Amino acid sequence: MSLLEMRDVHTFIGQFHILEGITLEVPEGAIVALLGRNGAGKTTTLKTAMGLTPLRSGTITFDGVDISERRSFDIASMGLGYVPENRAIFADLSVEENLRIAERQKGDFARKEEFIFDLFPDLKRLIRLPGTNLSGGQQQMLAVARALVADNRLLLIDEPSEGLAPVIIEHMMEAIRQLSDRSTVLLVEQNFIVASRLAHHYVIVEEGRTVQAGAMADLVNDEETIKKYLGAA
Amino acid sequence: MSSRATDAKAGRLSEVIRENRTRVTVLAVLLFLFLAAFGGLDREDWFSTIMQGLSVGAITFLVASGLSLIFGLMDVLNLAHGEIFMLGAYVGWTIYTRFDTALDIVIPLLLLAAPFLLMPLWRMLASRLGATPGVRRAIGWGLLLGGGLVTWLSVTRFPLVIWDPGDFASSPGSFSTQIDLNVLEPLVADSFSGAAALAIIGLILGGSILALAMSSFQRTATEAAVGTRRMVTAAGLVALAIILHLSKSSINEWVFGLSTSWRFFLAMAIAVVIGAAVGAFIEVLLIRPLYDRPIYQLMLTLGVGFILIEVVREVWGRPEFTMARPALFNGTGEGCPGQGIGGFFSGCSTVEMFGARLRVYNEGFIVLVGILVLVGVTLLLKRTRIGMIIRAGVQDPDMVEALGINVRRVFTLVFALGSSLAALGGVLAAPSIGLSTGMGALFLLSALIALAIGGLTSFTGAAAGAVLVGLLQQLIIRFGQQGIDLPFLAEPFKPTPTLVPAASVLLMVIVLLLLPAGLFGRSER
Repeated sequence: MSLLEMRDVHTFIGQFHILEGITLEVPEGAIVALLGRNGAGKTTTLKTAMGLTPLRSGTITFDGVDISERRSFDIASMGLGYVPENRAIFADLSVEENLRIAERQKGDFARKEEFIFDLFPDLKRLIRLPGTNLSGGQQQMLAVARALVADNRLLLIDEPSEGLAPVIIEHMMEAIRQLSDRSTVLLVEQNFIVASRLAHHYVIVEEGRTVQAGAMADLVNDEETIKKYLGAA
Repeated sequence: MSSRATDAKAGRLSEVIRENRTRVTVLAVLLFLFLAAFGGLDREDWFSTIMQGLSVGAITFLVASGLSLIFGLMDVLNLAHGEIFMLGAYVGWTIYTRFDTALDIVIPLLLLAAPFLLMPLWRMLASRLGATPGVRRAIGWGLLLGGGLVTWLSVTRFPLVIWDPGDFASSPGSFSTQIDLNVLEPLVADSFSGAAALAIIGLILGGSILALAMSSFQRTATEAAVGTRRMVTAAGLVALAIILHLSKSSINEWVFGLSTSWRFFLAMAIAVVIGAAVGAFIEVLLIRPLYDRPIYQLMLTLGVGFILIEVVREVWGRPEFTMARPALFNGTGEGCPGQGIGGFFSGCSTVEMFGARLRVYNEGFIVLVGILVLVGVTLLLKRTRIGMIIRAGVQDPDMVEALGINVRRVFTLVFALGSSLAALGGVLAAPSIGLSTGMGALFLLSALIALAIGGLTSFTGAAAGAVLVGLLQQLIIRFGQQGIDLPFLAEPFKPTPTLVPAASVLLMVIVLLLLPAGLFGRSER
């Protein structure tokens, strides 16, 4: 049984039918990359799984439990961490507060502090700064770190490499690889090179539908599919 | 080394100033204008005018702070906020002068409120009422009428002093005098007998039917269990109501034996609790279903405000009362007025400072409470986990929720907090400006202007805006008495009091033209 399963999920935003049948599985312990063009519905898929946009039909199960109707905080409390596309760093909070607010039990941050600062040594130096004063890369690190504070079994990470310098992308990839020892990861990634080097499995989304899924190793050599759905190789 | 650190600091400071050039200029010009205005006052007047401005500012701040917290976190502009302020004043007055009646009203309210704590149970029952939402809604309307009828029949049969309005509101003035002389006798309520016992059951039943009716309007079916804690709380409320009812006369006797000062502090405390309860009630039952419809929220809160005004008219019989100042701030005679800072603690009603005569209650106590609330809420926001969640929620409630925090519960809490601050403002204002059903609208307007000046979602801005509006108002009133010598006029120009709201709005317009986000607001991204 997979950790996260979505079956024929349909989601509307206002009157717009955004997801028109998403089906995917995220096996425990794996890194799964959600691929597709801009506007294919990747971000909405993550938001729907997180309960942030309600689904109209279909089912989502986490660890065998139906979470389709649950509210977002309830879903998160089951062990899902969310790193949104815009990073959503709280500007009025210091770096430390941005981390502490993610505590679900007292002492979560103290327990994870070492692990987090091992992954992102920069954050330790910035701990007192307000969230607004961080660079894009630092914000991305903080957003990922925030999802690591509580004991999350699954991390939903949206575009971790977007807008970052190549050196920082390398750093971020290394961090995601390391944290995947502890958590399962569902990743949205535009940069196919990053996705192919990180993920074990892939799911391709086109116009709100799942069109293809499988092992990343197979996709890398399948130039036709890459060209058809992702535009460039 | 150290000089380099200082240089860096100075560099950062100049950078901050450069980034906020308009803001710094506007603040400097405002400061200059206010200083010039105070400089133009007669010598003994400037200090009392400042203190009176701060006093009005403190009351305005208590209304504005709640509005700002609620608007910041939930994007709800609560137009009923002024009426909660008014309700706080009336509740405080009742606790202060007529504790017996207050106790009378609280008991049936507790009984009526208890079933609403079991909402999950009613939701579950409601989802089994009928097959389609249409049928459920029809049954809901029927239940609403039935529940209202049962409640009305039970309340009117409850042994309450208040159902004799002639007795209750005959002469508030004489009540005040009696209070001062400490000769006020509590009214004796009808004893608890026969039919009244049924009224208790009737009220619980009425509350249950109303709660069930409310639940039947929801669209989706839910199957959540009722937690033990909710059950215990609900049962506790019923038990509390019955105990209060049975020991009514001894409680009344005890409270009327207290000094007016203690009774005033009791009134403040209870008004705060009632304000919080009313706020939570409005948020959970009325605002929550409308979070994605801002226009409906505005209309709804506006309507709730009107309803509250009519409820106050109906319950309190006549709309206007005066409230005596508590003994602690009402001393006269030998040794009065007090001198200097120490004079505030002399028990006199007035104090002399810098050649000005100040009222201890208005310019001392009200300002003190305003400052305490400012410090308290600031500490709450900056130092506690819940404050951290509120600050984060102001920016992005969805992300806070996605971290596993029940944001709706925080919404309810903030609504209750904001309403309790407004109610506190109401009690505090009552001995100074008296009670009227229009006081809410008046202060809501000032508070909205203060918020627009300070920045809608900024708590510091709410305080700064409220103080500015208060100072401006008192300045104009004072210049209205003193007159301004203008070079091209033979007579000194005397601004009339009608200029007060106009001047506040003008100040708001000028600030908003220069700083669209207000003095301390962050511009919309």
